[in-house]
Amino acid sequence: MDIFLTLVYVFLFPGFLFLLAYALILEFLDRKIEARMQHRVGPPFLQPFADLIKMLGKEVIDPDGVDDKIFDTAPLVALAAVMTAYLYVPLIGNSPLAFQGDLVLVLYLLTLPTIVLFLMGWMSRNIFSAVGGIRVVTQMFIYEVPFFLALLTPALMAGTWSISEIAAWQQKHLWFMFLQPIGFVVALIGLQAKLERTPFDIPEAETEIIAGPWTELTGRRLAIMHLAIDISLVAGSALVAALFLGGPMTPWVIVPAWLSWIVGFFLFLAKTLAVLLILSSIKVATGRIRIDQLNDIGWKYIASAVLVQVAIVLVMNYFRVSA
Amino acid sequence: MSVIKEMFFNLISKPITILYPKEKVPIPGAFRGRVFLIDDKCIGCSKCSLVCPAQCISMVEAPREVEFKGKKLARKKKPLVKLFKCIRCGLCERHCPTEAIYLKDELSISGTDREVVMT
Amino acid sequence: MTEVIIPIGPHHPALKEPVNFKVIADGEKIVRLELDISYNHRGIEKAAEQRDFIRVLPLLERVCGICSHSHSTAFAKGIEEIMQVEIPPRAQYIRTIIAELERMHSHLLWLGVAAHEIGFNTLFMWTWRDREAVQDTLEEMSGNRVHYGMNEVGGVRRDLTPSQVNAALARLPNLEERIKKYADMVNNQETMLIRFRGVGKLSKQEALKYGAVGPTARASGVDYDIRSDDPYIAYAEAPWKVVTDTHGDVYGRTCVRIGELGESLKIVRYCLEHLPEGPIRVTTPKAAPKGEIFSRYEAPRGELAHFIRTNGTDKVERLDIRTPTLANWTSVAICLVNQNLADIPVIVAAIDPCLSCTSRITVVNDYDRTEGVITLDELRIRNRARNRRQERC
Repeated sequence: MDIFLTLVYVFLFPGFLFLLAYALILEFLDRKIEARMQHRVGPPFLQPFADLIKMLGKEVIDPDGVDDKIFDTAPLVALAAVMTAYLYVPLIGNSPLAFQGDLVLVLYLLTLPTIVLFLMGWMSRNIFSAVGGIRVVTQMFIYEVPFFLALLTPALMAGTWSISEIAAWQQKHLWFMFLQPIGFVVALIGLQAKLERTPFDIPEAETEIIAGPWTELTGRRLAIMHLAIDISLVAGSALVAALFLGGPMTPWVIVPAWLSWIVGFFLFLAKTLAVLLILSSIKVATGRIRIDQLNDIGWKYIASAVLVQVAIVLVMNYFRVSA
Repeated sequence: MSVIKEMFFNLISKPITILYPKEKVPIPGAFRGRVFLIDDKCIGCSKCSLVCPAQCISMVEAPREVEFKGKKLARKKKPLVKLFKCIRCGLCERHCPTEAIYLKDELSISGTDREVVMT
Repeated sequence: MTEVIIPIGPHHPALKEPVNFKVIADGEKIVRLELDISYNHRGIEKAAEQRDFIRVLPLLERVCGICSHSHSTAFAKGIEEIMQVEIPPRAQYIRTIIAELERMHSHLLWLGVAAHEIGFNTLFMWTWRDREAVQDTLEEMSGNRVHYGMNEVGGVRRDLTPSQVNAALARLPNLEERIKKYADMVNNQETMLIRFRGVGKLSKQEALKYGAVGPTARASGVDYDIRSDDPYIAYAEAPWKVVTDTHGDVYGRTCVRIGELGESLKIVRYCLEHLPEGPIRVTTPKAAPKGEIFSRYEAPRGELAHFIRTNGTDKVERLDIRTPTLANWTSVAICLVNQNLADIPVIVAAIDPCLSCTSRITVVNDYDRTEGVITLDELRIRNRARNRRQERC
């Protein structure tokens, strides 16, 4: 019975099937909010689904001299990585697959799409993709350090390495958004940079290097890579919601288990939508910055802010332990 | 700051797009659309054909009687416009002595043959 | 990283019209630039020699879509000066109104395109939404959103009814408010500031040496505007001033264009309110006397020059068009060296390139790799040789 329930959790709800639907819904909401803020109409509800089906059916073009087996399997690897990362985030209560250290696993799995993009960019024998690939890796070095540190500080304060237990810790104390506001802001900026959205869509700059590492992706490879980025939006915002906004836990314990699951699910939806609203607003309100300017801003301001946050958390921990 | 205020204000107001084909795009009366001809006023002087920069007006035989300045005249020719070559400049309308050929606000013309003509 | 050649164009998402840059870059810094601008050549100068003065004006309007009124007014003004006719004041005011409305729509379009080049799509959508008000006004007055067809040799073709004048005046206050908001945004929006400031700097000496015109030169402090240096139509009577800036970079050019938007709005309002009564055209002789004239006009992109030579018939003998974009390309090649790869679209967009105006034919000789320009006689010889070759086969 246990294994059967775990399989239902992993594959149906709230596992892969729900993840697919929710990723497409979040992409629709992102595009709709962006369009409405720009005073336009925006796409209809089923547009991301239609885009996915259409792209899966298009012709796959193999450029000359490119190893098409790696080109075919690399997007699948990226997709598998983010789908696995999503399973460890608490959605309706604790995740059944949780273990100590799953925070580290999730963070590492979420970096795989970026590395796959670099690989695709480097392997397409194309000057635009090569420049795009270089920019992807440069950007990854700049934002990964602050992002990891910002997601580490809740673990430091809660004293555990499991995401589900960090979310549960917030049930008895305050949300980490209030206890560590600097970390929250840096986590949001890092998430925007990881998902390569404006102002950090430097690798994909349409007006400068056509499409960067995405240039030679066609047909089902493009569909799967695009889906991987969508799913990492869900996984990323679920992670930030679990670590900083308390996840699916209410401040008081609800007694019948099934009721707490339902309430937790709606809380999860509400919190990820709030994170999406913030990310979309940042996307609409800014333009793209240059890679050397990102280098400046990343190391001077963002990294130093998060180091200050880590220092504050260590000091608070010391006083709490000794008190 | 003003960008953010305007963004959120736009989020809750109606979009400014004209939802074609449910709503129609408003076309002002002076719009230079398709070419029309009033047969009774045309005296077949060929001025429109001479002045057209795209050379899309040819004169065809059409003997008829036309009233011009109080007299009845027997005229022989009439203009024939190739609608898909017309660049809608309006020079024919400007130089017609009797205001017989004119451009009106008809925007969409479709046909199955390249040589769609207007009589 | 060794030097790589990155081809920007002829097909590229950053360019609205085809132009070929071969950028030789070292990592992200640009070392050198090679330019080829002949992709939009259509032979308009030759076609204009075969049409009389009534039929040549629609042809000249279609040199460029955004500055179409500039070309037809410059030509009509030149021919009127050769014929020595003076057009009535109402016609001058109407020509000024359409010219300044065209400048406004061109600058709003440019603002959107510049924002799109830095990835700031929100400003792109907002400026193009406000541009619709100008386009609606132009459509009501002239019948079309581009290629207005208002000019004739001897005056204008259509008159402005009082209802059109009132409708146009009613749209102006909203536009004024939006222009103020954009001026504010350029000074305060963080991403626009860091992408535009210090990029593509052109000093005053360089601008004068390489012959930059229009807002590109005025942003470097060169006080050169044909509307005030050599006034024509109604510019001497309307109250306005030349907008200059001292920064010389893309930020300066943005400020100049937004300032010019405000000034154009003032001119339009003045001309609409003080439209004189009277006829809108005079009859002109069919043929022009023998003469040569150099007619200058301040198009939205800079100084536009038409050289016209007539020989007593009703057609021109030679028409030569020197567009502002052609004068500005050298300054792009100068200020792109040592900038980042990511700045190419921004700097190219900052001169507001209009390739349809620019193109002149360049020929690359494959055998000895020389470049040059073909003259008409050479073209005739080559054509005859090719016909002979085809007859033989």
